[in-house]
Amino acid sequence: MFEKLCKLIAEQFGVDPETVTADSAFVDDLGADSVDLMDLSMALEEEFGMEEMDSEDIESIVTVGDLYKYMQEHLDI
Amino acid sequence: MRIIVDAMGGDNAPQAPVQGALQAIKEYGVEVVLVGRGEDILEALQEQGVAELPQGLSITHADQVVEMCDNPATAFKEKKDSSLTVGLNLLKSGEGDAFVSAGSTGALLSGATLLVKRIKGIRRAAMAPVVPTGGGGSVLIDCGATAEGTPEFLLQFAFMGSYYAERVLGRPEPRVGLLNIGAEPSKGTGLQREAYQLLQKAKEEGRLNFVGNVEAREAVEGAVDVIVSDGYSGNIFLKAVEGAGLFLSREMKKMFMKNFKTKIAALLMKDGLRDFKKLLDANEVGGTALLGISRPVIKAHGSSNGYAMKNAIRQAVEFSRSGIVEDITENVEHMRLTARSAAADGSGE
Repeated sequence: MFEKLCKLIAEQFGVDPETVTADSAFVDDLGADSVDLMDLSMALEEEFGMEEMDSEDIESIVTVGDLYKYMQEHLDI
Repeated sequence: MRIIVDAMGGDNAPQAPVQGALQAIKEYGVEVVLVGRGEDILEALQEQGVAELPQGLSITHADQVVEMCDNPATAFKEKKDSSLTVGLNLLKSGEGDAFVSAGSTGALLSGATLLVKRIKGIRRAAMAPVVPTGGGGSVLIDCGATAEGTPEFLLQFAFMGSYYAERVLGRPEPRVGLLNIGAEPSKGTGLQREAYQLLQKAKEEGRLNFVGNVEAREAVEGAVDVIVSDGYSGNIFLKAVEGAGLFLSREMKKMFMKNFKTKIAALLMKDGLRDFKKLLDANEVGGTALLGISRPVIKAHGSSNGYAMKNAIRQAVEFSRSGIVEDITENVEHMRLTARSAAADGSGE
């Protein structure tokens, strides 16, 4: 599941999947802004059936690891 | 060619979108899908003396309407059965070649960005109206989709604007200028100075005909075919040009109506004055292209009448046929700061 998430993130941000790790920070490492994060949230909904994240949740997620932890809490994985 | 039209967006909906659709089908031979409340659309058709759906026209029902008071960032999600959201989803699924709406600009931008999606690698979609200038019109990009910009955004705007000027306006090697407060590369804020360097590099690589900074006055005089700007400055520029045009028209009318002699002069110059009026008439253009979205989207002016909507549909057809989306997709690697930085320092080899 984590690999699938990294692949999705790599596609969304146009980076090499090998460079996406749990420590990758969305803003500092992947250059994400608010529009990118909303876009990612919708992609997660489509790919994993996860309920769309509200803006507070989006703001609390700094790294890919944070996101994976959030997914574990909100999905049956 | 099938154009999807938001029948409920704009001050004069659904009458204006319906009139525009009927005219477009007749004049351009396209198919139009009107999206909105079916009963309202049918009533508007009857007002036009149309009892049965003509060939080429279809209706997709959508019960909700995104209002101007709705939160533009989330309206497309909160009103999933709105003419805007249903229309964008039809575009996304390939059931039309382009989408036209005169409704909320913010909601259209958010919806297009997050439903239809940006072209991969494009950081921000931009609104790119063609403003009347001495050179026969120039593409202004961005005119307000993104208030604040980054140098990378401006680089991408420059490329997208250049493709639009070339493919739709027919300008060979469009001259691209960076809107600034002076000609020297050192002018402007950090944003303009950094963007200047990126644009200059693109020029040296033979990818862009960047002619340097351009002041607002020179831009209006027609010094460039593409005016690159952050959304905040671009919006101010656009409104200033619109206001100057209105002021000039009003003063000319006062002058010609002054006395009998001037009225005769106006009569003698009737054709020229009509052509001049057309030059400044936004209804003639139709709308504004959203560049950077993966399928063609046109934002028509909120106060569009039927004639303006017809021209917006024409613009959607031109946009769809132009191949700009493919141009951007094929060249996006040259517009990305990360890829360009990696290439410059030799990393990744």
